Amino acid sequence: MDPQRLADLVQQLEHDRSNGTQVGARLCETCVEILDVTGAGIMLMSEGEHRGTFGVSNDVISVVEDLQFTLGEGPCIDAFTSDQPVCEPDLRNPAAVRWPAFSGPAVEAGVRAVFGFPLESGTTRLGALDLYLDEPGELRPDQMSDAVALAKVISDTVLALQADASPGALAPELDASLHNRAVVHQASGMLSSRLNIGVRDALSRIRAYAYSDSRPINDVARDIVLRRLTLD
Amino acid sequence: MTTREVMITDTLVTLADTMVRDFDVVEFLSLLSTRCVDLFGAGEAGLMLADESGRMHLTASSSHEMRLLELLELQHDEGPCPDAFRTAMPVLCDDLSAAADRWPTFAPEAVAAGFQSAHALPMRLRDEVIGALNLMSTHAGPLPPDDVAVAQALADVATIGILQHRAAQESKLVKEQLTYALNSRISIEQAKGVVAHQLSLNMDEAFKALREYSRHHNQRLIRTANDIVERTLDAADLG
Repeated sequence: MDPQRLADLVQQLEHDRSNGTQVGARLCETCVEILDVTGAGIMLMSEGEHRGTFGVSNDVISVVEDLQFTLGEGPCIDAFTSDQPVCEPDLRNPAAVRWPAFSGPAVEAGVRAVFGFPLESGTTRLGALDLYLDEPGELRPDQMSDAVALAKVISDTVLALQADASPGALAPELDASLHNRAVVHQASGMLSSRLNIGVRDALSRIRAYAYSDSRPINDVARDIVLRRLTLD
Repeated sequence: MTTREVMITDTLVTLADTMVRDFDVVEFLSLLSTRCVDLFGAGEAGLMLADESGRMHLTASSSHEMRLLELLELQHDEGPCPDAFRTAMPVLCDDLSAAADRWPTFAPEAVAAGFQSAHALPMRLRDEVIGALNLMSTHAGPLPPDDVAVAQALADVATIGILQHRAAQESKLVKEQLTYALNSRISIEQAKGVVAHQLSLNMDEAFKALREYSRHHNQRLIRTANDIVERTLDAADLG
């Protein structure tokens, strides 16, 4: 990537931050442009879990994010936990099946090749960047190194946003990423109390139910919170 | 290399070395002060760093002799150090007995303490000035140009070390805050769910209960939330 291009991007991000433009979305669009992929998404993670989506470039990547959140498996999860880029050039005919639950629905949504890059700063892991292609294919070496460079810009941006936040609170843009998953955590709390299990187990059960019922996890969570659904 | 050159090189290497290991600003600057005395035949040396409002504070000196410390501390807004800090230029005073107009408080006190010349080099990196290096001598007379150059170089190296350390500290802090804030956010939502179930409330009411308990017990909301989630606090006790 042209260093000037990178410098322009960083400057554009500064500008966005000061005038409230959706930084996450812009980062994703930039990834799509520079890397020449079909879509990009940014996932915030902690404790090995997908916590929220910071930005998406299109609806298909939203599905990819949602699947990973629901299933707890996928390229971003692997990239985050292994701290390495993860590449699957053909989800429909993989050399080895890595994500049994994720692959089918992802392919149906239009994802053929999928890649995950860890987002980190020093030893702190922040999440992952996911990229997809609507046809099978690999990323060229120059695309790989550009993706790594963009992952760094994204990490730095996330930290820069947080640097301006009030102590103890998440920066508003990051909080917004978590906001729509709040209901899932509320549901986990309720279920953990009802069944006298830990919140992690409760989340697993909600996930399993959403998967087996083929329903978005947020919908299932909402039903639990509204007491319309009782899980065992 | 001359003995002096060896000493200068050694000082730079030692300074660089301290920057890599566990960095202690005071230890670092104390070392620099001591070396300056050796290198420039200064009677004493001191380092002052500016706070957010631009006021200088003594951070290290070549000795802890009371008179010296008091003299250096006198410079919070008048003297060679504040001048070097403000102008970002070396401030060289060959004869303190003639400097009463320039520094009406500092100059007479310095002379009374036995010093006849005082020089200050700004600690700067590009546009940023963070403090000043102060050299005090018991003889009157100029600081030779070579010495000015070397002293400025040492001040610059010290500045880089301190700024890098500050940046690393800030960065580390932000990362910790991000992790903490992320996990807190989630814990609070989970706690709302637990309370909502246990007390048959909706989420708003559950949140209110958590907040009121926290306020009443003078503890942070996140602490209450964690206790609820971990079951060390019962929702029934939220009262």
